[in-house]
Amino acid sequence: MNKRNFIRGILYAFLTLLAITCLIPFAMMIINSTRSNTEIVRGFSIIPGKSLIENYKNMMYHMDVSDGVFKGIWLGYKNSFIIAVSVTVLSGYFSALTAYGFFAYEFKGKKVLFILILLMMMVPSQLGLLGFFELNKALKTLDTYIPLIIPSIATPFTVFFMRQYLVSTMHPALIEAARIDGAGEIAIFHKIILPIMMPAIATMSIFTFIGAWNNYLVPLVVIFSPEKYPLPVLMGYLKGGKVAENLGSMYLAISMSVAPIIIAFMFLSKYIISSISAGSVKE
Amino acid sequence: MNSKNKYGYLFISPFFIVFSIFGVYPILLSLYMSFTDYKGIGSPYSANWVGLQQYARLIKDAYFLQAFINTWKIWGVNIILQLALALILAVIFSDMRLKLKGVSLFRAIFYLPNLMTVSSVALLFLYILDWHHGALNGLLLRAGLISKPVNWLGQPHTAQLAVSLIQTWLWFGHTFIIIFAGIEGISKDYFEAAMIDGANRVQTFFKVTLPLLKPIMIYVVITSLIGGLQLFEIPFLISQNGLGGPEGSLVTMVLYLFNQAFKYRNFGYAAAVAYGLFLIILVFSVIVFKGMFKEEV
Amino acid sequence: MKMKKYLSILLSTVVVATSLVGCGPKTGEKSKTLEVKKDKVLRVWSFTDELKKPLEYFEKKYGIKTELTIIPTENYASKIQPVLESGVGAPDVFTAEIAWLKQWTDLPYWENLSEDPYNADEWEKDYVPYVFNLGKDSKGNVKALSWQATPGGFIYKRWIARKVWGNDDPAFVAEKLSTMENFLKAAEELKKAGYKILPDEGALRWFAKGSDPKPWVNEKNELQLTQAQIDFMDYQKKLRDNEYTAMAPEWSPAWFASMQGPVPVNAGWEKDINKVKGNKTEVFGYVMPTWGLHYVIKPNAKNTAGDWGLTNGPSPYFWGGTWIGIYSGSDNKGAAWEFVKMMTHDEEFLNWWYKETGDLLSYKPVTDKVKDSASDSFLKGQNHYQFFLKEADKINPNIVTKYDQGIDNIWGNVVSEYVNGKKTKEEAINEFYKQVKNAYPEIITPLDKK
Repeated sequence: MNKRNFIRGILYAFLTLLAITCLIPFAMMIINSTRSNTEIVRGFSIIPGKSLIENYKNMMYHMDVSDGVFKGIWLGYKNSFIIAVSVTVLSGYFSALTAYGFFAYEFKGKKVLFILILLMMMVPSQLGLLGFFELNKALKTLDTYIPLIIPSIATPFTVFFMRQYLVSTMHPALIEAARIDGAGEIAIFHKIILPIMMPAIATMSIFTFIGAWNNYLVPLVVIFSPEKYPLPVLMGYLKGGKVAENLGSMYLAISMSVAPIIIAFMFLSKYIISSISAGSVKE
Repeated sequence: MNSKNKYGYLFISPFFIVFSIFGVYPILLSLYMSFTDYKGIGSPYSANWVGLQQYARLIKDAYFLQAFINTWKIWGVNIILQLALALILAVIFSDMRLKLKGVSLFRAIFYLPNLMTVSSVALLFLYILDWHHGALNGLLLRAGLISKPVNWLGQPHTAQLAVSLIQTWLWFGHTFIIIFAGIEGISKDYFEAAMIDGANRVQTFFKVTLPLLKPIMIYVVITSLIGGLQLFEIPFLISQNGLGGPEGSLVTMVLYLFNQAFKYRNFGYAAAVAYGLFLIILVFSVIVFKGMFKEEV
Repeated sequence: MKMKKYLSILLSTVVVATSLVGCGPKTGEKSKTLEVKKDKVLRVWSFTDELKKPLEYFEKKYGIKTELTIIPTENYASKIQPVLESGVGAPDVFTAEIAWLKQWTDLPYWENLSEDPYNADEWEKDYVPYVFNLGKDSKGNVKALSWQATPGGFIYKRWIARKVWGNDDPAFVAEKLSTMENFLKAAEELKKAGYKILPDEGALRWFAKGSDPKPWVNEKNELQLTQAQIDFMDYQKKLRDNEYTAMAPEWSPAWFASMQGPVPVNAGWEKDINKVKGNKTEVFGYVMPTWGLHYVIKPNAKNTAGDWGLTNGPSPYFWGGTWIGIYSGSDNKGAAWEFVKMMTHDEEFLNWWYKETGDLLSYKPVTDKVKDSASDSFLKGQNHYQFFLKEADKINPNIVTKYDQGIDNIWGNVVSEYVNGKKTKEEAINEFYKQVKNAYPEIITPLDKK
């Protein structure tokens, strides 16, 4: 028994150490966002400084590059939020629709088309990047949110996941019953199927939202005007700008950029983690 | 019944319309571009057709080879560390005799980095690892562990290691959750039988746990490989001017593609690089898939 | 089968549609008189905030609203080029830095200012010649103008010169730095007194270019690496090996901090970082041009204003400069032209701008008036105008090419690999050739001849 407690003690020590290592970058980030540039250049300290407000003012001053046009980090939040919400809604709705189309109906070419979806899951997104850029250049949709939002109507992995969900949970008799009651096909989908699929949609939505919120490469390539930058691109943009001349402000900007995710995670951690577990076991 | 089936087309058509325009067409256009000397000015259709010239260049390109090797090195170190850590954690937490508490708290902490915006993570480490006034050097100096600051991002090996470790930091929690779920999914009978047979922890791990986990491990490796071969954000943001220094050690395949296209405007060549990258991912995925298939038979 | 047909029709429609609209900005549509739209917002893109105040001035003077978008230098060219290509969300006025100016002068992005109703050719005599010439395309049409000239100098801290040499006079310091041999001697003297001559070795690159001014790529599209550039690799290495610099790379926070006071130096970091204090690691001077003095050093050295000096280094050089022009696809060319005119050819404004910033202008009617009486209190009353105008006459604009930004970067990287001891000189030069070829396949390097 004693030996077991000893092992347990060692293991807890190890886990705690690992947890601390995991959190140290966050601690450095938060502490340094309260310290002045001179203090940071002199060396690291675990004692927070007194320059938080000054760092914030400096950051906002330099981010507000054009009077009234570019309101710094808050605008970045707004842009990211608009994009991520639109992507999540479109992807959730149309993936459910497509998955249901494949599940409930028999039509020519169904198999081929479904295999096409499976194949596209394997294709790395970089393959079409340059063509995507040229397409949007030709369509005059560069520097708009169209290339960031509209393509989410076609998300192969989500369709695949939802079809699997339908296969394992839906009974075709339910659809038949609804038809006998005289419901139209479109109404059946919206009134019966969509509510049934909600758990699957919710699960995918979390990951779609996080993915869209964190997306970097595509917006980096297609968005030019700073006032339209989503948060991740905005952060990269800061690196070469005036904010980066003051380390305290830079650390503060980084802290602020990750804060919403950390806060959301505090409320959703159980749900997110169980979704990951569930998703992987089904594979 | 049959008349209703036309709704099938209706329901899947939004997907396939968007899919054709924003998914398939760009891929075909990229392919077309890879046969031209398109420079990003005007339209790809008005560029000169050069046949397989770009691919001939790709095969001989020492810089692409270097990018290929860099990408593998960074991914290799990361996947080994990540799997090892995740396995150890999963075994510790699933041990029936120890019954450790606090799984959900630790799991949440370990997973947290994975949710961070990658560009913020890159910037954060750019400043933490800074040679002159980075918090890490400051901390290590204060603790007396080093006597001179280390130029983490200024030397090829430490820079690559740093990126590998950042990747590990980002992903080991995620991998741990998946593997832990896998172990939880294994019937308790196996472990009880092993315990009755007098197997110790090490024997149980190698004889029972590991073989049963193989499909999940392969899943983890494949998804990580596909993601790892497309590594871009961190090397791009952590190196000066996004060029992938020091000595090109952080130039990954996608970074190379990006710079060829958007820095030097060699769109045609960059498109060929994209197809090269695709081929590489395809080949290695098939290899790992085959490995998995063998297991199941 | 139906589906397939449907798909293929769709695909081909997309192809046709995109190829139809896939053409760049329209040129040619010109009206002889320009309408100034007062109710439209004038959109301007640039890579620093230096246009912020001029735009405020413009708003007041003309009653036209403006909007300035800033993309930092590192990404500016790659971000704005697609905008200019597609014309969507494009600005009415945009600027270019000298490093990529030549990429654009021969493309149809900027309005041709030699034509009616602009007729900018008539202004040639009003400008410092090199500035006006650089804004022309290969056919001699004026595409962009500039209000400034950007010759360089060596900007130093006078109190350090007094302490080390007992003399802070610019002529005296110029003598101390007149050749690279003298420069290194001065560096040694400074080091003995506890100072560093430069923040980092990379700062020497401008002297390297200036001591044998040749373009990176000649008219036969051949890469040219001058002997001077190769010699300067060794000078850089000497600076590093002898610890003559503070190892604070340009634009890093440490670099900015070094203007304000002492900074920690890596080469000799103490275990106890608190010991790294005092003036042991103070930087003596900076290789910076006109704008560096006004926009970089002055705001970062407020505490020591009045005790700085400006003088010559081992060779004359120039660095940077902003050119401004009208987007050829703009629908607000009238207002755009008013702004460009104000910025570059409006005596009243330029006088105000000179008083506001002290920046070196390229517009002679103003510079002629102020050059004798100019005096900069930051530089202890030195006449920086006369100094810089003299330096501006030495500038050879023909060394600027469209490859400068990319090749400067590549060269800087391989030289630092040599300086760090990672590569021999031959390896570094060879690597330089290979990387240039890789980035710009159309350039002929010495490797192609073998």
